[in-house]
Amino acid sequence: MVNFTVDQICALQAKPTNIRNMSVIAHVDHGKSTLTDALVTKAGIIAQANAGNMRYTDTRDDEKERGITIKSTAISMYFEIDKEELSAIKQKTEGTEFLINLIDSPGHVDFSSEVTAALRVTDGALVVVDCVEGVCVQTETVLRQSLTERIKPVVIINKVDRALLELQVSKEDLFQSFSRTIESVNVLVSTYHDVALGDVQVYPDKGTVAFGSGLHGWAFTLRQFATRYSKKFGVDKEKMMAKLWGDNFFNPATKKWSTKPTDTDGKSLERAFNMFVLDPIFKIFDAVMNFKKDSIAPMLEKLNVNLTSDERDLEGKALLKVVMRKFLPAGEALLEMIVINLPSPLTAQRYRVETLYEGPMDDESAIGIRDCDPKGPLVLYVSKMVPTSDKGRFYAFGRVFSGTVRSGPKIRIQGPNYIPGKKDDLFVKSIQRTVLMMGRYVEPIEECPAGNIVGLVGIDQFLLKSGTLTSSETAHNMRVMKFSVSPVVQVAVEVKNAADLPKLVEGLKRLSKSDPCVQTWINETGEHIVAGAGELHLEICLKDLEEDHAGVPLKKSDPVVGYRETVRAESSMTALSKSQNKHNRLYVKALPIDEEVSLAIESGKIGAREDVKVRARILADDFGWDVTDARKIWTFGPDGTGPNLFVDVTKGVQYLNEIKDSCVAAFQWATKEGVCAEENMRGIRFNLLDVTLHADAIHRGGGQLIPTCRRVCYAACLLASPALQEPVYLVEIQCPENAIGGIYSVLNKRRGQVFSEEQRPGTPMFTVKAYLPVMESFGFTADLRSHTQGQAFPQAVFDHWELMPGSTLDAGSKVADVVKGIRIRKGLKPDIPSLDTYYDKL
Amino acid sequence: MSAAFSSNAEAVITRPLDLAEQEKRTGIQRKESDLSIAEFYDIDRTSSEIQSRLLKRVINIALQFPDEMLRDSVSVYLSLGAALRSKGYVDFNLFVLADTSYGSCCVDEVAAQHVNADAVVHYGHACLSPTTRLPTIYVYGRRKFGPERVATSFASACAELSPKSITLRMDVSCCYAADDIIKALQLRFSDMHISYSQLPGFQAALETWRSDETQSSHEPSAETGTILFVGPETLALTNLMITHGNYQVFRYDPASDTCSLESVRTNKLLMRRYTMVQRARDADVFGILVGTLGVASYLHLIKQLRQVLTQKGKKTYTISVGKLNPAKLANFAEIECFILVACPENSLIESKEYFRPIVTPFELQIALGVTSTWDGRYLLDFDKVLKDTGNGSIQDGADAEDEPEFSLITGKYRRVKNYGDRLTEDTTGQEKSALVSRNQQNTIAKMETAAGEFLNNRSWQGLEQNLGMDEPAILEKGRMGIAKGYREVDHAPENDVP
Repeated sequence: MVNFTVDQICALQAKPTNIRNMSVIAHVDHGKSTLTDALVTKAGIIAQANAGNMRYTDTRDDEKERGITIKSTAISMYFEIDKEELSAIKQKTEGTEFLINLIDSPGHVDFSSEVTAALRVTDGALVVVDCVEGVCVQTETVLRQSLTERIKPVVIINKVDRALLELQVSKEDLFQSFSRTIESVNVLVSTYHDVALGDVQVYPDKGTVAFGSGLHGWAFTLRQFATRYSKKFGVDKEKMMAKLWGDNFFNPATKKWSTKPTDTDGKSLERAFNMFVLDPIFKIFDAVMNFKKDSIAPMLEKLNVNLTSDERDLEGKALLKVVMRKFLPAGEALLEMIVINLPSPLTAQRYRVETLYEGPMDDESAIGIRDCDPKGPLVLYVSKMVPTSDKGRFYAFGRVFSGTVRSGPKIRIQGPNYIPGKKDDLFVKSIQRTVLMMGRYVEPIEECPAGNIVGLVGIDQFLLKSGTLTSSETAHNMRVMKFSVSPVVQVAVEVKNAADLPKLVEGLKRLSKSDPCVQTWINETGEHIVAGAGELHLEICLKDLEEDHAGVPLKKSDPVVGYRETVRAESSMTALSKSQNKHNRLYVKALPIDEEVSLAIESGKIGAREDVKVRARILADDFGWDVTDARKIWTFGPDGTGPNLFVDVTKGVQYLNEIKDSCVAAFQWATKEGVCAEENMRGIRFNLLDVTLHADAIHRGGGQLIPTCRRVCYAACLLASPALQEPVYLVEIQCPENAIGGIYSVLNKRRGQVFSEEQRPGTPMFTVKAYLPVMESFGFTADLRSHTQGQAFPQAVFDHWELMPGSTLDAGSKVADVVKGIRIRKGLKPDIPSLDTYYDKL
Repeated sequence: MSAAFSSNAEAVITRPLDLAEQEKRTGIQRKESDLSIAEFYDIDRTSSEIQSRLLKRVINIALQFPDEMLRDSVSVYLSLGAALRSKGYVDFNLFVLADTSYGSCCVDEVAAQHVNADAVVHYGHACLSPTTRLPTIYVYGRRKFGPERVATSFASACAELSPKSITLRMDVSCCYAADDIIKALQLRFSDMHISYSQLPGFQAALETWRSDETQSSHEPSAETGTILFVGPETLALTNLMITHGNYQVFRYDPASDTCSLESVRTNKLLMRRYTMVQRARDADVFGILVGTLGVASYLHLIKQLRQVLTQKGKKTYTISVGKLNPAKLANFAEIECFILVACPENSLIESKEYFRPIVTPFELQIALGVTSTWDGRYLLDFDKVLKDTGNGSIQDGADAEDEPEFSLITGKYRRVKNYGDRLTEDTTGQEKSALVSRNQQNTIAKMETAAGEFLNNRSWQGLEQNLGMDEPAILEKGRMGIAKGYREVDHAPENDVP
């Protein structure tokens, strides 16, 4: 069935002008995978009959069972465009053959990191929108992500068959619904206007919007209809397309075009879109579904649709499918739209290089990327790891941005912490094999030139999740991907038999590799923690861990949430701690820092690595800090980068610079394990007010200062009304009106706060948006379904950290209970240590 | 805790002891009304052991007391002197040793050698680690409890289990009643097989270390089984559980007169220790802490640890700091992980307060992969650890060269540093005048050393010279004494010791 060979693909890979790298992105259940099938059918891999229910890119068993996509999957396709349409391509091309590298991505919010990994290696995106549900939260999220990555979108409005069959809308209503959807996409796109990318709003009359049904395998853009009608009317195709959308009306009586819905006599005119585009479709639906056998045959003849004798005997939906698929084959329409409107790597890399590459724009690597030069130095970004059939080994999946990758020569493998000129996170190794990723299969290829997506064998042990491969010694890293989700939900796993611990550790390593977002670590109490974006994500990860990666029976704790420790006020008095030898004293106060500053640190806007003066300027100008204070930030913590600051505000202390290293080490330690529950601290500034040091160096060494500085930080926190921050989800729920009551009652029970409730115009569907503490979200989906008879479907994504009311020191408050719970779980004494554990009297 | 290697004499005498706390753990004391000195401290047995084992006429004997028994030392000294005199000894010296450098459970051979002792009488809780230099007579003291109560409460605790055979283990302070307990148990469980090995009252010095000789007789042979431990919740119990992970361990607590299943904690304990293994894996610079001078074969072990670490390209320092505390160890900021070579009772340190993890030699071997992989077994005994390494082949890491390691502590990849002398190995045999290639930045590649790297990462790297910038200083008189106690500086400890 394969209607192209690997050799053909290899030949096309060398022509970057004729390559299109694109991902399919959308909200969950809007039909990405099904639509992808339609495209793959066109490329000739799936039998026509199965298209629509096969889900070629869902390669895992659980994906098929659940009917959702979990991993993004790549597939390469070959497409030959009609010669007549070549002129429509506004960028450089050679010949009519095209290579389309498509990545199908998951739509569920929990797997957004997969989408991010897919977007990085593509230049264009096919945004799928359900014509009934419209633009949903995940549509917005992925669209935003693609725009920040400078990825050009085209839109398909999917599931049009539903509108026709289930909702029975009129032609004009359907048109209005289409335009509203397109409008809401464009509103979002226009807020991300980027000069380098140009206008990327979508317009049906320019052929960047398609309409169709993935399930039935048909789709069209106005270009298809324009082609049909331009001959009939003798008008230019581009002009015809413009007439077929918007307020253009055709008066059949006078055969004149008009922009007013009424003719001179006041008689209402039919919109051109309705008349020329929707009318034939409506007629086919009507004829087939209402069994008007007689009228079908002439209609098909008129539309040049030929059925085989078997197909003629079909009835109802089966017949409709066949007819529509022959009339408006989805594969052609979409592939044509992709080839015409999405940029080739040659075009895209010219403007993407600035956002992709961290180094200077004039070094050899940057120039290689900019020109998509197969002869330039190799620059390849690995965006994720794909498990191979060989257990424990992975394909490194990525995109060649410059040069050509082949097995043999030694290349530099730069991990995310690589700094040019240093040797950290750098390996020089050679690639064993290069492969083409084809859904569930791979095809070995000799080499892969710039502009293509490729799988690499033999370097997986040097990269954890992602990284840059290059042949240039001066190359900087490609920018790391920013995920829109954070791993806020944790589960502690435990082996049933201590002898299995090594297997668990190996399993956690593999799990960590196989998913861009999941995090695994071991905590002080010996619990192995797996953290994911949400319940579903964790469920999938743990299943993989138990069955594949570790292969040993596991005990799983209930999901728990990672909290952050913070303070509410400035320390009520200066905290003082003495070193063990009593000769050194540290005086510290803790105070909260603004949420904006915390966010700026977390987003990297204020970085620990940045130049002190630049950083001080930003803090002073944007956040109202005192410049002298801002210059005296000793360190960020935890891990040297976190949202807590240690600021030296002392005046003229002798030997102070000697103890800085000890204080920094102690601060990292203290902020990693906060005083209340040994959770990370967040948003605390420690001011070092004064220091008394022993006159002799041996008595103010690390041994005396590190424990003391840790203690004084704890004492300062205890004096500053310590509190907890909990992670909060933004939940979006779509439901019909009668389910809203159920939603409110479930949300109320779970401390949820509704902040928006909107009806989607033209539909009975409501969209409810609310904040919901992650802690309360376990079992939320199931609870919601049972309260709304399964009509409400929530999507939750981490939004912010929220300060919990009350101080952790008030016995009986909710937050004190939470702290106690965490402490018991971690095997600590149930009560927070008292102040005099850390505070020393003068 | 003492601040320096050996604390000053005054501090030891004046140090307050929490006796109630001690009592709950290893320490037991003679209460006034209880037993007489002679009975509690086994004066008769001690003197006859001395007579039968030591054939010299002139003898020096060291009496080693733990802190909680120190107050009886004078009475013991007097009664033992009287007993020896009655056995015909004339020319003998008794010395009281107190405040041992390490744990008081170990025999302080070095202190005893200072007084030229021929034998040591060790009082109180003992870990029974073999000694190398001196013969030892152990006097454990007696903890009061009713042997028949042990049988009753054990019967109720293991009702649904009804084990066919059990191994009886005792805290040393309870072992005087072993026979009674066995009798009581046999009375209750007529068909049960009870294995018990008597704790030694005397231990000869192992003159040389022999790796082939292991005391396997001590160990229950079966893979799984039931252990009844009689005694308080001590580190000995923890060790027992951790080294016998597959066993059901019951403990009879003499203080509360209850018997309970302890081994439910074992898995958690092992997981916690495995965390330490993971942390040790993440370290490149190790400190070998000498935590004992008494346990036989500790020198062999230290030597071997050093050898293994060097082979793996790790940097090692060997340090001895006496009793551990966080402040002492935090002085060695460049060391990323400590290995404590100490007697089994002192090996497992909960390093929560410590800046860097402290692992046992066995854990280190697991971490480095030199021993057979982790299978839930846990070893504390030096001889076994040494033997275990003998079995596992130390493969050279050349094949895995510089593959990064996945660190579970951070959840990220970690580049393993190599501080070994591989470079020099490679170049031996080649000509010394070989050219050194320069890299692109035109600098000659430097050998990396752990200390050099650490210094580079410090923000404060020592005094700045400010050559030619400062006025020459006038010579003045400096401080007198050593850093521990300058005369000018007030070193008197304040009272509120934390």
